[in-house]
Amino acid sequence: MTGSVGQAPVIRAHGVWKVFGPRAERIVGTPEADLPRRELLERTGCVAAVRDVSFEVWPGEVFVVMGLSGSGKSTLVRTLIRLIEPTAGEIEIAGRDVTRASRSELRALRRHEVGMVFQHFGLLAHRRVLDNVAFGLEVRGVPKAERQARAREVLRLVGLEDVADRFPDQLSGGMQQRVGVARAFAVDPAVLLYDEPFSALDPLIRRDMQDEICRLQAETGKTMIFITHDLSEALRLGDRIAIMRDGSIVQLGTPEELVGSPADAYVANFTRDIPRSHVLTLRWVMRKPAPGEELDGPRLDVRTTVRDAVPVLAASEKPVCAVEDGRVVGLVERDAVLRAIASGDER
Amino acid sequence: MASVAADTVSTRPLSHRPWWRGRLVGVGVVVALMVASYRLGVTTDANGVAVARFPWPEELVWNAFPGHLDAFQTWLLDQRNAEDPSIVFALFNGFATLVDSLVSWLDRFLLWLTWVGTAATATLVALRFGGVRAAAWVAGALAAFALMGLWEESMQTVALMLAAVALSLAVGIPVGIAAGLSTRVQRAVTPVLDTMQIVPAFAYLMPVVILFSVGPGAAVVATMIYAIPPAVRITALGIRSVAPNTVEAATSLGATRPQILAKVQLPLARRMLMLGVNQTILFALSMVVIAGLIGGGGLGDLVTSGLYSSPAMAILAGAAIVIVAMALDRATEATASRTDPTRRHLDDSARRTLRFLTVGAAAAAAASVALAKELGAPAAYPEGRSAQEWLLARIQSALDYVQDPARFLFAVTEPLGNAILVHLVQPLQSFLILGPWFTTLAGVTAIALVVSGVRPALTTLAMFVAIGVVGMWEPAMDTFSQVLVATGIAVAIGIALGIAASESALVSRALRPVNDVLQTLPQLVYIIPFVYLMPVSIVPGIVAGVLYAFPVVVRLVERGLRDVAPEAVEAASAFGASRTQLIAKVKVPLAGDAIMLGINQGIIMVLAVVVIGGLVGSGGLGYLVTEGLVRGQFGQGVAASLAILALGIALDRVTQATRQAGKEVLA
Repeated sequence: MTGSVGQAPVIRAHGVWKVFGPRAERIVGTPEADLPRRELLERTGCVAAVRDVSFEVWPGEVFVVMGLSGSGKSTLVRTLIRLIEPTAGEIEIAGRDVTRASRSELRALRRHEVGMVFQHFGLLAHRRVLDNVAFGLEVRGVPKAERQARAREVLRLVGLEDVADRFPDQLSGGMQQRVGVARAFAVDPAVLLYDEPFSALDPLIRRDMQDEICRLQAETGKTMIFITHDLSEALRLGDRIAIMRDGSIVQLGTPEELVGSPADAYVANFTRDIPRSHVLTLRWVMRKPAPGEELDGPRLDVRTTVRDAVPVLAASEKPVCAVEDGRVVGLVERDAVLRAIASGDER
Repeated sequence: MASVAADTVSTRPLSHRPWWRGRLVGVGVVVALMVASYRLGVTTDANGVAVARFPWPEELVWNAFPGHLDAFQTWLLDQRNAEDPSIVFALFNGFATLVDSLVSWLDRFLLWLTWVGTAATATLVALRFGGVRAAAWVAGALAAFALMGLWEESMQTVALMLAAVALSLAVGIPVGIAAGLSTRVQRAVTPVLDTMQIVPAFAYLMPVVILFSVGPGAAVVATMIYAIPPAVRITALGIRSVAPNTVEAATSLGATRPQILAKVQLPLARRMLMLGVNQTILFALSMVVIAGLIGGGGLGDLVTSGLYSSPAMAILAGAAIVIVAMALDRATEATASRTDPTRRHLDDSARRTLRFLTVGAAAAAAASVALAKELGAPAAYPEGRSAQEWLLARIQSALDYVQDPARFLFAVTEPLGNAILVHLVQPLQSFLILGPWFTTLAGVTAIALVVSGVRPALTTLAMFVAIGVVGMWEPAMDTFSQVLVATGIAVAIGIALGIAASESALVSRALRPVNDVLQTLPQLVYIIPFVYLMPVSIVPGIVAGVLYAFPVVVRLVERGLRDVAPEAVEAASAFGASRTQLIAKVKVPLAGDAIMLGINQGIIMVLAVVVIGGLVGSGGLGYLVTEGLVRGQFGQGVAASLAILALGIALDRVTQATRQAGKEVLA
């Protein structure tokens, strides 16, 4: 989960701006930058797609950027490896300064440290699946036999070893995106960027793919940035979620922080349809034990969701003890749980 | 591109007032004013013949201009033929010599292979890359040359084509790639390409001849001017139409720009590049006949020299050119589709098989050449054993038939030709030639202003003034009237057939082969039959212009109508609109851009053909250019060429209206 002390973040973005339009660089740092979108466009002819975004991503973390279309999330992820040049700000990936990197340094970063998966796959129609997966290694200059062996290995990882000799247009959308994922994994990057990878897929396949990502994440422990417009996807995958609106991050936090204490009406509006009991953990409903109170009820990890605690609580006369690191940190009463469930539904 | 076009057409809201409503009225008002002023401007001379009261004033003609041009030509010739020419002329001379020797080397090579060897090699190449049907086309075409007894001339033409196409691609593909990769390059080359395509080939024959002197070199250069633009445009389009997300994906993996070009963009654009080659060949072929005028030799020469002296031979050679064009078109198109790496799905073993087939085909070709030489096959198919005599006799009797006033056909063509002349061309001619020059000038400028805007109007004004200043007002008005008549007919036919084709799949399917054939034919070939069929001086040029231009109008109109948003049609139908109402009130207004583009393209194509009509007595500017070429009246010829250029640019600007939207429809 979130970074432990002493570990450096894999990705660090500080004050990143992207302004499209004529002489965009003059806007950042002036009062005009704070204008609402429409006014900025009318006055300067520029559009600020990303405004002063800062965040850090820790090793092994799944960091989700969520927002509606036009909120700047796809632009943001592209500025991270300068597929789109940021207008201002500083970006560091795996200890390398991205913003000041020369062309060849940037290329080295893209070849070795970062893999990206795209919404519309971006597969090469004239190459077999195997050669598509090996493409990243090919541009790196890896010899043919070696890169094909590696590509087969990765295809096995995503369950596509049987279609290595097929062509992309012979595969279903879900399988094509697995190829896209395999291509990103093939170069064994430290960081994976997912730009709305499953938006173009059917809901059922989307769910399979989310499971697949969870599995890959568990198996490989890669750091991931995941862009989506789907809140349930964000909650399923994300260790932390940044919600973007009009180019800015309006709230950054764990799923339960977003659901439990939305920063503003915009975020609240987003999360209103999410059943709170599915997201909130015992930490959000427990109370401090009174001094001398007996702590002999059933014990549950403090990170258990409220929903999962319900059957235990129902079977017990006594309040449930929330445990963290083997120590009781709070007590959960029935009425607190009921209130949490009810408030989620009435909102 | 297709989807972009669909978007631009379909996103237009239904309530939007069609752009041409107001403009059409404006044009009508301008024309009415011009007609009114014509009545005031014409007077009669002593003999009762109508003359212009206000012809283009003598004081506004730069009389010394042709003289200057003649002096310039003398200077050029002196420079070119000097013992020690300056570096520029040395380059021109060197290039001409290089191309001359390239063409003659290719020609000699084709003859060296012997006719058997050439036929076998060409068929095998077509078979390997284009498939059985392509091979059948190629073999059929070669058999036809043999049968017609035109083997040598055909080989000369093929050699000329190969050289012209190779050089056009050598220039066009790199420039096209640069334009595809960089918007700045694209923006820089587009106006150049536009001009190259607007200018009728007839207008640059004179300058080319002067710089490169008559011969294959000049013919290749004139062909290149015409054939490079499609090579550049289609290559650029191919590079641009590669899905941006594949390029982005490759970039995200750290591919360098050369890697992206070689591994992503070029393979994915392969099919488009091959179609660019196909178009380049067709454009080059359509110059064959014109090239015959300036020393291209081969079939083109037979056509131009035979037009009057041996019409049957001209028609036979024209047919051979058509066969070359169709065979090369089908063969390259099949190759484009069959070698597209995104569709072929080649695995390693298929790749090996193909490589084996390539080697096999090459070996078979080499073997057949060796065998043919061993058995002493002649270089060209012997004329004596061809059916030429018989064919010429057939053609001649057919010509005699259509030209016999007693025949039924004559009763159709004669009155039709006369009707076009008497009721359309002559009134318009006298209107434009006799009307006061200033109202004509003001009129076309006003129409350009109403239809296309301020800048096109200024260009139009400048171009018409230039025509007057170089002393070409009257012949230009003559040509202009012919162009208007031909365009009017072409657009009327085109819109009618376009609507019919968009409404009925049957009509669409029936029209497609006709359009394909008409569009593959070289420009001058259209004229040949009508010279004999409608022997009224001006009419063949006009009819040929109509035939050349209307398929494009049909295609654009049909495409525009089919691209109209289905929701709009559905909504109108739901309110109970009849089919006629649907067409008149929904589809045609919404397809206005495509129709306007059809007019724009049509008028330019008509101009190109109508000036060629000068060769066969259409008069006007084309005649003056022909005179210049044939009689060496340089000054006059170049002035007429410049007037054609000016007229072309002006007509393009007047009709360009919504060209930006239209370009996407075309693509």
